[in-house]
Amino acid sequence: MSEMKNNNTLENDFGSKFGAFFRNNSVPIMFVIICAVCIPISGFSPSYLLNEIMTRMGRNTFLILCLLIPIMAGMGLNFGMTLGAMAGQIGLIFVADWQIWGIPGVVLAMIISIPISVLLGLLCGKILNMAKGREMVTSYIISYFINGIYQLIVLYMMGPIIPIQHSAIKLPRGYGIRNTVSLLNMRQCLDNLIAVNIKGVKIPVLTFIIIGLLCLFIIWFRKTKLGQDMRAVGQDMQVARDAGINVERTRIISIVMSTVLAGFGMIIYLQNMGNLSTYSSHSQIGMFCIAALLVGGASVDRASIGNVFLGVTLFHLMFIVAPAAGAKITGDSMIGEYFRVFVSYGVITVALTMYEAKKRKIKSLMGRQLKLDQKEEAK
Amino acid sequence: MKSKRKWLFRALTICLLLAIAGTMFIIGRGHTIYLDNKTIDYEGQTYEGPYQIVVYVDDEQVAKLNKRDRGMATCIGQGFNMVLEITQEKGGEAATMGVTMTLPYNMDGIIINLPALLAGLPQDAYLEQFVPAVPDVPEDEEIVTDELEMLEAVPEV
Repeated sequence: MSEMKNNNTLENDFGSKFGAFFRNNSVPIMFVIICAVCIPISGFSPSYLLNEIMTRMGRNTFLILCLLIPIMAGMGLNFGMTLGAMAGQIGLIFVADWQIWGIPGVVLAMIISIPISVLLGLLCGKILNMAKGREMVTSYIISYFINGIYQLIVLYMMGPIIPIQHSAIKLPRGYGIRNTVSLLNMRQCLDNLIAVNIKGVKIPVLTFIIIGLLCLFIIWFRKTKLGQDMRAVGQDMQVARDAGINVERTRIISIVMSTVLAGFGMIIYLQNMGNLSTYSSHSQIGMFCIAALLVGGASVDRASIGNVFLGVTLFHLMFIVAPAAGAKITGDSMIGEYFRVFVSYGVITVALTMYEAKKRKIKSLMGRQLKLDQKEEAK
Repeated sequence: MKSKRKWLFRALTICLLLAIAGTMFIIGRGHTIYLDNKTIDYEGQTYEGPYQIVVYVDDEQVAKLNKRDRGMATCIGQGFNMVLEITQEKGGEAATMGVTMTLPYNMDGIIINLPALLAGLPQDAYLEQFVPAVPDVPEDEEIVTDELEMLEAVPEV
């Protein structure tokens, strides 16, 4: 009898553990299923898929890693990373005009982007401090606001006020930057410097070393005083304030760091692409990076380096196979295009909804517990 | 004391970044080099090009120039090294020659006349700036800046 009871308890334990695992990892599991269905239908060879994943991982991972620091500080998903992307693009426009090629060009663009990113990060951090609890929507709108200023600078001030020499970059009217700036002279310079080719799969070793260094930096940073402060602020701002932490300053630093890293990430991303769409490259980058991170199993208040790598792999695998699978199933590749865009936005929506639901559930549980405690005290 | 040290570190970091930026500015300057194997007249004398010149940059063949041909190479930085494999006559033996030169910083595109270079003429004879041809009427480019186009489109009634 007791053996049966034990078995039932074990089964219940296993069932509840499985249920909890499924609930906590529902998004990655869903993507694994989508990819598992789409890969055979798409007809792509494993080496092709691996090659594409390697390229995209090198291109995007740095950008996604920059989202981890604001999450650590409890500021949610930093839609304001677009600000850093704009700073990186300004750096690249200058470097393209000055004809600085290859890795020196990449390094110089990164250095140019730093002060711009810091200024934009400070501005964003200050505003987000005024909108505590509504950081994500605020940062999303800030990115549109700064995009307007970016366009003013790039479209009207570059040329007459900020000197731009080359007609290949300048618009035919004499001022403003063209829709597309060629970065052919620095295309994949990081990826090709130390590249290893294993059975047709190109591995951009230097890019991965840079990504690895950033991962190590994040791990180390978590253990520093500032990192601990950020985690404390992320857990409970009031408790952190009582413990003597300057909450506002810590939050601003996290946004500045994220913006600077986003600038670097955008430069790594664009050197891989080999051209810069002046007015659109940055606009969707935040959305896709956040979607990739969420696909990896991260949430608004919890994200790890593992989530980043899993997210990049699954999200981009879906990006590669969905159009081909869509074309094979329906005869129209646009179906796959729609599908991947709709999934990107859908994932963000689901993650935000789940986060809010979880927050409310915890709040209501705490309320009930408080009510019970009060009742017991009254007795 | 602690604050002073903090400011010192900040100043040093900025100086270091500026130094790296300056170095990158110099060592990363890219040039497109056009290599001509064309006859040149200099101070009343004519310098004929050889039958064929094969140009190697970084052990890679970048151009194979017969008479009146133009080739192209790229170079990052001011120092440009190339190896020329010169064949004076058709069917003749090829002679190899290494050339090292310093390129002017301010020029994006540089034309190097190889016969003048091989004849040992001064730099102003064999090196000139490449000026790309500019179209008379510049083509117009429409700028797409935002996603609000649909708001501007007013449906016809």
